[in-house]
Amino acid sequence: LDLSNCSLHSVPPGLAEATTAIVLDLSENPLTSLPDGSFLGFIHLQSLAVPLTLECPGGSDAWQNVTVDRSSRLCQGQRNPCNSSAELAWPCPENSVCAPDGPGLIQCLCDSPFHGYKCLREGTFPMLLFGGILGTTTVSLSLLLWGTQRRKAKTP
Amino acid sequence: MAVPGSLRRQPANRGLVSHCTHHHIVVFLLTFFSYSLLHASRKTFSNVKVSISSQWTPSCLNSTAPELQPYELWNSSHLFPSAEEATLFLGTLDTIFLFSYAVGLFVSGIVGDRLNLRWVLSFGMCSSALVVFSFGTLTEWLHFYNKWFYCCLWVVNGLLQSTGWPCVVAVMGNWFGKAGRGFVFGLWSACASVGNILGAFLASCVLKYGYEYAFLVTASVQFAGGVIVFFGLLTSPKEVGLPELGADEDEGSVEEDANRPLMGSDDVDDDDRNYSIQAADNDEEPKAIGFFQACCLPGVVLYSLAYACLKLVNYSFFFWLPFYLSNNFGWKEAEADQLSIWYDVGGIIGGTIQGLISDVLQKRAPVLAVSLLFAVGSLFGYSRSPNSKPINAVIMAITGFFIGGPSNMISSAISADLGRQDVVKGSSEALATVTGIVDGTGSIGAAVGQYLVSLIQENLGWMWVFYFFILMTSSTILFISPLIVREMRMLLHERRLRMLAE
Repeated sequence: LDLSNCSLHSVPPGLAEATTAIVLDLSENPLTSLPDGSFLGFIHLQSLAVPLTLECPGGSDAWQNVTVDRSSRLCQGQRNPCNSSAELAWPCPENSVCAPDGPGLIQCLCDSPFHGYKCLREGTFPMLLFGGILGTTTVSLSLLLWGTQRRKAKTP
Repeated sequence: MAVPGSLRRQPANRGLVSHCTHHHIVVFLLTFFSYSLLHASRKTFSNVKVSISSQWTPSCLNSTAPELQPYELWNSSHLFPSAEEATLFLGTLDTIFLFSYAVGLFVSGIVGDRLNLRWVLSFGMCSSALVVFSFGTLTEWLHFYNKWFYCCLWVVNGLLQSTGWPCVVAVMGNWFGKAGRGFVFGLWSACASVGNILGAFLASCVLKYGYEYAFLVTASVQFAGGVIVFFGLLTSPKEVGLPELGADEDEGSVEEDANRPLMGSDDVDDDDRNYSIQAADNDEEPKAIGFFQACCLPGVVLYSLAYACLKLVNYSFFFWLPFYLSNNFGWKEAEADQLSIWYDVGGIIGGTIQGLISDVLQKRAPVLAVSLLFAVGSLFGYSRSPNSKPINAVIMAITGFFIGGPSNMISSAISADLGRQDVVKGSSEALATVTGIVDGTGSIGAAVGQYLVSLIQENLGWMWVFYFFILMTSSTILFISPLIVREMRMLLHERRLRMLAE
């Protein structure tokens, strides 16, 4: 994805949808800053070119090598942030594991068999089994009790 | 001479054994389990509080750490900004439930005495099950979280659940007479505690699948219970042609009268022989008495007020115990739930044993007073209990014994006594109405207490909550002190007469 020399003053909002990009070129744009969440979801990004004035997103630790050109900075080889020691400072909550979410960004996904909001739920509820047992018990008890109790009742 | 004493006891035993048919057993079990299921669905709500408040709030990390991603997984639910607000709302829901339950009790008692008890009970159970299902399960499946919706549903639930208690006590009162009432009702009023245990057990088993399944399970089992009650419950011996309870009791009373002419009743709480003989002749349909007439029955107001204070303590333990355990000691929700079962176990044993003792003495109030005095001591001891599960469980069971026991007795056996006392016997139906009044006042007390407990806990801490409980227990003793004095005097009078006769 080549966005060089497009006179961009800020990161275009549409960029967020281009998460499958492997190569991205933003050089030669008068960008003032790269907000933290700009590259959220860019897990396939292997080569990123940014203007010289800006740092590589996620810092130099997030990339395998950073080379500086005349007009741009080239960040290559996104590292898995889950392996680096810096990210272990704030581990993922219970029942979830770290997964990469872009350069220097991590996300916490649910560990299987957990699922649902905040990974609180485990497994699937055996609905059929429960319904079957409850239904048969109710029907048999009702019939039994009606036969022994109410059949001879005189309703007032 | 031991004759008067033994003859006095004989009719009681004879009455209990001779009346027991298979209908009695089925009625006992059906009413027992229907109320247990109602209570179980209430308990489910208390047990899943922690899970529900996680569902309603975004993830909470310290402010320095960045937000968790992905957003939908960790932060998308913003019904409440923090866990504290969610807890406040849950406390408000409890209070709303108890207030509507109290109002519903007054109404259901009156309704139950006028309509068919079986219809009212099964309608109440089934519709309450549907409401609980919508509250917990539908809202989660549809991801529809709305505070007003929850409040409205819970108000309706309170009104519907209130149909349970007056109806089951009235049915039990129809089938089981004064002989052995304390023991039978003591054993039977274990239904509330069994319901708590059942609810806690079901909730903790199913909680891992999601709190909505805990609600689904209790709601569907309750619905099934309502259906079974509809097909199997006989509300009174009249329905199968067995003799009505009043007639049989009169025979026994006439004998007693012949043997103890000196024991003239100057107290309406005692069996008044003269009225009952005339009442047995009337074959007309008993009509229900009005609300204010029921209030004016002797003993009703005092016991209602005493029950308000006692139910406050009982329900605060019931609603807040798991929360206190996980808050104060840091225990996990499921463990705290399992431990709170010990309180109910103590309550069951307490209700039964104290009912038995009060049957033998034929006096209720002194037994209550002694138990409540011990309760003050055990509350004090519990507030100081260490962070150790076995010791906590033991003290919890002891507290349950001394608080749950009187609570069970007042709400069941004593209500049945009050509603079937001789001022109304045979000519009016008062049982469900009186039960409704006693329990309704109790629930108002409990509702006010919920709000006060969360207020005190936030501002002053848990120790002051326990002091508040001790204060309430002492007020209970204060309210029933006129009755205690009167019954103690009668006990001493009887003993003196017995010694004179020997």
